[in-house]
Amino acid sequence: MKFRNASVVALAAAAALTMTACSGTSDGTSAGGAESKSFEFWSFTGIDQKATVDDYKKKKPDVTVKLTEVGSSVETAQALTTALAGGKVPDLVLIQGDDMPKFVQQPQNFVDLRSLGADTMKGDYLDWVMSQSTAKDGSIIGIPTDVGGMAVAYRTDLFEAAGLPTDRDKVSELWPTWDAFIETGKKYTAKTGKAFTDNAATSVFFQAVNQVSEKYYDPSGNPVYATNPQVRTAFDYGIKAAQAGITAKQSSFTDGWSAAMKKGDFAVVAAPSWMLGSIRSNAPDTKGKWDLATIPGGSGNWGGSYLAIPKNAQNPKAAWDYISTMQSPAGQLEHFLDSGSLPTTPSVYKDQKLTSLKDPFFSDAPIGTIYTDSLLGLKPFLIGPDSSAIGQEFLNAITNVEQGKGDPAKAFDTAVTNIKTAIGG
Amino acid sequence: MTTISPARSSLPAPSRAGSPRLGLRERLAPYAYIAPFFLIFAVFGLVPLLFTFYVALFDWNPIGDHVFIGFDNFTRLFADGRFWNAVRNTISIWLLSTVPQLLVALVLAHLLNHARLRLAVFFRMSMLVPYITSVAATAIVFAQMFDRDYGLLNWLLGLVGIGPIDFIQSMWGSHALIAVMVVWRWFGYTTLLYLASLQAVPRAIYEAASVDGAGSWKQFLHISIPSLRPVIVFTIVTSTIGGLQIFTEPLLISRATPLTCGAVRQCQTLTLFLFEQGFGQFRFGYGAAIGVALFVLVVAVATLNYLLSTKIRAEKKP
Repeated sequence: MKFRNASVVALAAAAALTMTACSGTSDGTSAGGAESKSFEFWSFTGIDQKATVDDYKKKKPDVTVKLTEVGSSVETAQALTTALAGGKVPDLVLIQGDDMPKFVQQPQNFVDLRSLGADTMKGDYLDWVMSQSTAKDGSIIGIPTDVGGMAVAYRTDLFEAAGLPTDRDKVSELWPTWDAFIETGKKYTAKTGKAFTDNAATSVFFQAVNQVSEKYYDPSGNPVYATNPQVRTAFDYGIKAAQAGITAKQSSFTDGWSAAMKKGDFAVVAAPSWMLGSIRSNAPDTKGKWDLATIPGGSGNWGGSYLAIPKNAQNPKAAWDYISTMQSPAGQLEHFLDSGSLPTTPSVYKDQKLTSLKDPFFSDAPIGTIYTDSLLGLKPFLIGPDSSAIGQEFLNAITNVEQGKGDPAKAFDTAVTNIKTAIGG
Repeated sequence: MTTISPARSSLPAPSRAGSPRLGLRERLAPYAYIAPFFLIFAVFGLVPLLFTFYVALFDWNPIGDHVFIGFDNFTRLFADGRFWNAVRNTISIWLLSTVPQLLVALVLAHLLNHARLRLAVFFRMSMLVPYITSVAATAIVFAQMFDRDYGLLNWLLGLVGIGPIDFIQSMWGSHALIAVMVVWRWFGYTTLLYLASLQAVPRAIYEAASVDGAGSWKQFLHISIPSLRPVIVFTIVTSTIGGLQIFTEPLLISRATPLTCGAVRQCQTLTLFLFEQGFGQFRFGYGAAIGVALFVLVVAVATLNYLLSTKIRAEKKP
């Protein structure tokens, strides 16, 4: 009998342990009542929306915000789709830029923010960012929260060990082009025997393809991914990097990628502004060992998100108050100073607080000017309904070559064939 | 009402003659008792199933238009290499996970049924720990153990001089990894099912066999397995149905490309392909068509399995 009891207790303990180990989902603060001063907010993980919500609650202590971090940006868009198709929608939702076109094409699912006052605000934001959340009928379904200006983060200690310069201006001079970037990588790998960058698909191709003037669609919305020479050039850079043997073959945001970053198994990672938070939280022990250089090619944008209000939201007014308070130029500047998400409101780009901001984690790099400079002179391109799927197939093709499985000569054609199957066109 | 008439004839004559009204009630009562299940099944099982067939005939944007296109989704599906790839992966993972799982469970059940086993309750109960562990937790832990550069398994392999194997990026590696997770999760449950029926076998038979000089292996072959046949058939059918619908494991092992399970869809199963099309690409119609195809596949394989295993059972009967 004793054994029986002991084993039951042990079992229960083991069960409890495994259960708690996996129930790490964050659900925000207290569940709000049905009063008009509360609203439900779906965001995604990794961008620390909670900090902004806390700021808001300090400003409006009588408002209850029920924040849910649904999952990754893609998972959040999936959950939103399901909810729009027939479920309980949140009052406010954060949508990543690549997922926007699908929703912008169906504006009837969202509150036209012009009816709440977006008309008076839209001039505050970068016009090309704003155009991506404006539907054909002119309705505005999203207010941009941030853009992903681009830079390259590199490890000064590892560069020093490889005999490369460590000063951020000198490092920027090492790679005016992607070819030069790959050459630098070869030098680094030859010297140290270690990988230069994390992977070819996101750190090279995804950066290069976001520096074009025309991407997967032409300005009138026709898909041109197969014929656009700019896409092909970016793809070839990806293939070249994949074959150069300079990558750790770790896909971004995987467990292996995090581990490699902690251990310094790669020295360089593409760093859109929102990536800085990811590096900080992934590898806190590497504080001060990083610095930021300009991206080959100089400018570009990767990412950025929008806040939208679903049509059937219970409390659109409360949600709008959050948007208009927190996403004003002053609000975005404040969020940038707290978390590093780059404002979409150019009026603050020359603000003293932004230009003088230095980040000790990245060797006091002037992150304000580095990222806003990368947005200047940016030529906006049209993001179409299948941009996300097209990009994914190109990424997969490069990863497959990097893994030593795909034929580099056929990779582009294979990717185009796969895209045609995927988007049915 | 027609469904009731056969029952009427089988009822004992006296009650029919005695009180017809009460008799009708009595005859209806069993249907009333089972009605709740069928009502709930109709609402949560049958209607969604039929609705899936309906949606499969449309180009159905969940947040936009629904355009009727007849069987276009199916013609497209059968010409879609990704669909056949998913079918191959599903069957491969199912075989790799079901066969070892049932074999391991058989052997374990036999060992746990041993009369002189100490701490039997502890061992029997601990079999269930993997089963009650969340699939997500299992998947995350296993994916880390099988990691190419920092995984425990590759570290051990490295000690004996075998180079790092990239399980997740290779087809067989990823299938094996998923199969290991499925076996890990289900072997205890299946073992307990087998054990429960083994315990119904009188001890005396085993004792007699051992008096006659049969060792443990012979007892296993000639006593345990024959007495387990009905429950083996049951577990084969249920693990077929479950095995063909594996979803969470492939979704979680490839964090970079969760919806395709790898850059070249090397471990994308049918359910994952369905999810990718329906909820990743927002093509509900196409996703529903995949669901219908999966339904047909599961019914076909389960029927085949059932026929084969009952045939074996019938033939082997003395």
